[in-house]
Amino acid sequence: METKQKYLTEAVPSFTPRTAMEEAARCLLCHDAPCSKACPAGTNPGKFIRSIRFRNIKGAAETIRENNVLGGICARVCPYDKLCEEACSRTGIDRPIQIGRLQRYVTDQEKAFGMKILKAVEATKEKVACIGSGPASLAAAAGLALKGYKVTVFEEKEKAGGFLTYGIIPSRLPQSVVDEEVQYIKDLGVEFKFNCKVGKDITIEELRKEGYAAFFLATGTQLPKTIDIPGVDLDGVTTAVDFLAAAKPNNGDIEVGENVVVIGGGDVAMDCATTARLLGAKKVTVLYRRTQEEMPANKEELKFAQSLGVNFAYTFRPGEILGKDGKVVAITGEGTDGESKIQLKADKVIFAIGQKADDLKEIVADIELNEKNLVVADEEADCKTNIPYIFAAGDVVNGGKTVVHAVAAGKVAVDSIDEYLTSIREIEATDKEVAAEKEGAR
Amino acid sequence: MAIKKDLSIEYLGVKFENPFCLSSSPVGSNYEMCSKALEAGWGGVVYKTVGIFIADECSPRFDNGNKEGTPWIGFKNMEQISDKPLEKNLEMMSKLKKDYPNKVLIASIMGSNEEEWAKLAKLVTEAGADMIECNFSCPQMTSHAMGSDVGQNPELVKKYSKIVSEATHIPVIAKMTPNIGNMEIPAIAAIEGGAHSISAINTIKSITNLDLDHLTAMPVVNGKSSISGYSGAACKPIALRFIAQMKQHPKLKDVEISGMGGIETWRDAAEFIMLGCRNLQVTTAIMQYGYRIVEDMISGLSYFMEEKGFNSLDEMVGIALPNIIPAEELDRDFKIIPKIDDEKCVGCGRCYISCFDGAHQAIDWDEEKRRPVINDNCVGCHLCLNICPVQGCITPGEVKFKEGREPHDVIFKTKYE
Ligand SMILES: Cc1cc2nc3c(=O)[nH]c(=O)nc-3n(C[C@H](O)[C@H](O)[C@H](O)COP(=O)(O)OP(=O)(O)OC[C@H]3O[C@@H](n4cnc5c(N)ncnc54)[C@H](O)[C@@H]3O)c2cc1C
Ligand SMILES: Cc1cc2nc3c(=O)[nH]c(=O)nc-3n(C[C@H](O)[C@H](O)[C@H](O)COP(=O)(O)O)c2cc1C
Ligand code: SF4
Ligand code: SF4
Ligand code: SF4
Repeated sequence: METKQKYLTEAVPSFTPRTAMEEAARCLLCHDAPCSKACPAGTNPGKFIRSIRFRNIKGAAETIRENNVLGGICARVCPYDKLCEEACSRTGIDRPIQIGRLQRYVTDQEKAFGMKILKAVEATKEKVACIGSGPASLAAAAGLALKGYKVTVFEEKEKAGGFLTYGIIPSRLPQSVVDEEVQYIKDLGVEFKFNCKVGKDITIEELRKEGYAAFFLATGTQLPKTIDIPGVDLDGVTTAVDFLAAAKPNNGDIEVGENVVVIGGGDVAMDCATTARLLGAKKVTVLYRRTQEEMPANKEELKFAQSLGVNFAYTFRPGEILGKDGKVVAITGEGTDGESKIQLKADKVIFAIGQKADDLKEIVADIELNEKNLVVADEEADCKTNIPYIFAAGDVVNGGKTVVHAVAAGKVAVDSIDEYLTSIREIEATDKEVAAEKEGAR
Repeated sequence: MAIKKDLSIEYLGVKFENPFCLSSSPVGSNYEMCSKALEAGWGGVVYKTVGIFIADECSPRFDNGNKEGTPWIGFKNMEQISDKPLEKNLEMMSKLKKDYPNKVLIASIMGSNEEEWAKLAKLVTEAGADMIECNFSCPQMTSHAMGSDVGQNPELVKKYSKIVSEATHIPVIAKMTPNIGNMEIPAIAAIEGGAHSISAINTIKSITNLDLDHLTAMPVVNGKSSISGYSGAACKPIALRFIAQMKQHPKLKDVEISGMGGIETWRDAAEFIMLGCRNLQVTTAIMQYGYRIVEDMISGLSYFMEEKGFNSLDEMVGIALPNIIPAEELDRDFKIIPKIDDEKCVGCGRCYISCFDGAHQAIDWDEEKRRPVINDNCVGCHLCLNICPVQGCITPGEVKFKEGREPHDVIFKTKYE
């Protein structure tokens, strides 16, 4: 396959009905399904695998979709090896059930059957604004719409999805899957306003005046982190977020360079390295400051990068970026042993060492932030911020976790926002009653 | 938003919220078990067979038949009827009916003579059972006056059916043994005796495996073993056959049937219904997986009805019967040549081996490409299609008419799972 095509095509092949059943038949159908307990979003693999086993694929789809509106996305991007599959009892015999792949099979079948499991309900309740359109917001918007709220999602970019659209590599998550699940949420009655940055194009105060009664802040961590070493301003030095955000929406039609060096050792670094390689870079090297064992990247993603011929230089931290005529030509690495040194030829250097949040004070002046500039909220409990009508979750609260954690937090926000607005509605109703009684007494 | 169709159906004039019932066996041996099952969604229970006789069971008492990696293809048991005192069982049945008035309670009984059958019928009627199932079919009773020895004897079946139906006002079901050539004979005898319905099948006499160390069958009970009943998935084909034959018999075609034998999924359930069952019973799959399997039966059957446009189970009952015809009436004018997809083929050569050694030497092996090629010897038996491990690789292809036969439209299956 042409490498560009490989970039755009899912790397893991899908199950057929027969292979899916073979895999489901390996499931032990555990009494208290530890896999289900280990899923942050409550997707309930124990139950949907049981449905596959008993040939009820549609019922399996129902379980997934009702618990996780982004079930098809999570099936592809979840770090299962650290979640459901890590908990799987079958590991005690040989190896875990391929839960993610089964989930993907079921959601693919759901699409093939043309099923519409979640159906729009009439929006009779208050207006709620979701700020950002990443997985946290998408999950919250869907849940609120299903409870009868009028939900609008405000997104500064052109397309919905957050890092689903502007980050994760298509060979793991094709854009079509994101688009379909976003469409699903639109069909539930959620409205989207694109190219609209809250805090700049419109303010929360203005939205309050327009009748929005509650806000869900899920703006993620959009600003890249860099390290202050000589040469960072050279032409050809970029960040993971900028690099990936350019690649995916352009279907890979970007200039990647010949010799690419990626700095970092997480999943984002793997995505940058594989993207660069698949889009034509001759040599890609990942520069990582610790050992291979310590590298946080998902093992499957690491294997995938290795299979593409990506090089790894472990235990080197970046020293200095060398340039010529304002352009990158090389980067040096300094061994953590204090002695070793390398120099790598490079025409592109990508920093993949993490992201941080935007200045949130621009959106809400008096929101409480912690020392990392993240919103203070408990996303596992209620997503409440210091301002009663503002709720927050996802990367902007946790500093950067995973899609499924964002979905889980979005679900928590749904209940919390509903509880808040319901209590206000009840107070207003009793106030009215009291007023009416007074009126009557007069 | 979960789809749930109305799965209710009448059987013997009693409305069941769904046709799924526990069959008489350990899965419904006491109040606690039946109650948990009903809470899980089962429409009714056939309580473990009660008798004056109290069973004295052996240990161990089970074995399972398997193939390659799949255990429990079938299941052998050496259990008899209830091992609890009759009064205790009657008490639990009463309590069940009181606590679950909308679920259906069927009492299974087994006597060893006329008096016992009559007495048991009266007692379970008083206990509040909605119907009675006469167990004429347990193949491993320690007394030959009971069980499948009775079921193989049409006179006894007729006599006991008469006694039971005269001793009660509630519907009476006669449960058949498959350890017989023609089930129609005892079934007709039961109906003539006064039974209102037939249930089938009980377990099939079997020896699942020999133990090669102790030189006896499994399970090994102090160095010895017995022939006893086989149930579960492997029995489904046999159960379906008996049921279809009864439903096609002129004297039985209008008799309502409760079907069982290997039901595990909604699909199995649909198959039993389409061959004429109005009620379904399950044991082995519950013993293997628990009461929870009813969730997927309900959900799966609902989705199936939705997909095919059935509004009620009534519309499905017996719908496949007209398409089960005698062998001599099948259209034998044509053969369907299989088609092999070279792209999907993984080159295992299993189709080649099977066709050569077990069929008609109609597949050549291209050694260069490592791919099978069908030649002119093909008779369209589809052994290769059954063998191929790759889904959708070998499929039915061209329909060819035999020499001298008039070409016509042919209905055939194109998609295999
Ligand atoms: C390259 C990359 C690969 C990843 N791979 C994986 C993976 O394989 N598996 C996994 O589970 N996780 C992965 N992650 C992490 C995961 O994507 C995030 O944890 C998740 O997207 C967080 O969701 P969120 O909704 O909190 O925020 P985001 O997805 O970051 O979405 C926030 C959205 O808010 C918008 N926004 C920001 N400010 C404003 C504003 N003021 N007004 C309007 N809109 C605004 C942004 O444009 C963005 O669309 C990856 C991340 C990256 C960067
Ligand atoms: C362990 C065991 C005990 C059984 N005991 C009874 C019984 O007491 N009375 C009866 O009528 N059938 C009994 N059966 C037969 C079942 O009710 C049923 O007819 C048979 O197992 C076929 O259904 P299945 O394949 O769903 O198990 C028993 C079956 C098993 C496996
Ligand atoms: S933990 Fe593993 S074996 Fe157990 S139910 Fe979940 S997937 Fe199946
Ligand atoms: S299944 Fe239960 S009753 Fe049977 S042997 Fe095991 S522990 Fe004992
Ligand atoms: S059995 Fe199927 S996969 Fe194997 S050689 Fe034949 S056609 Fe190919």
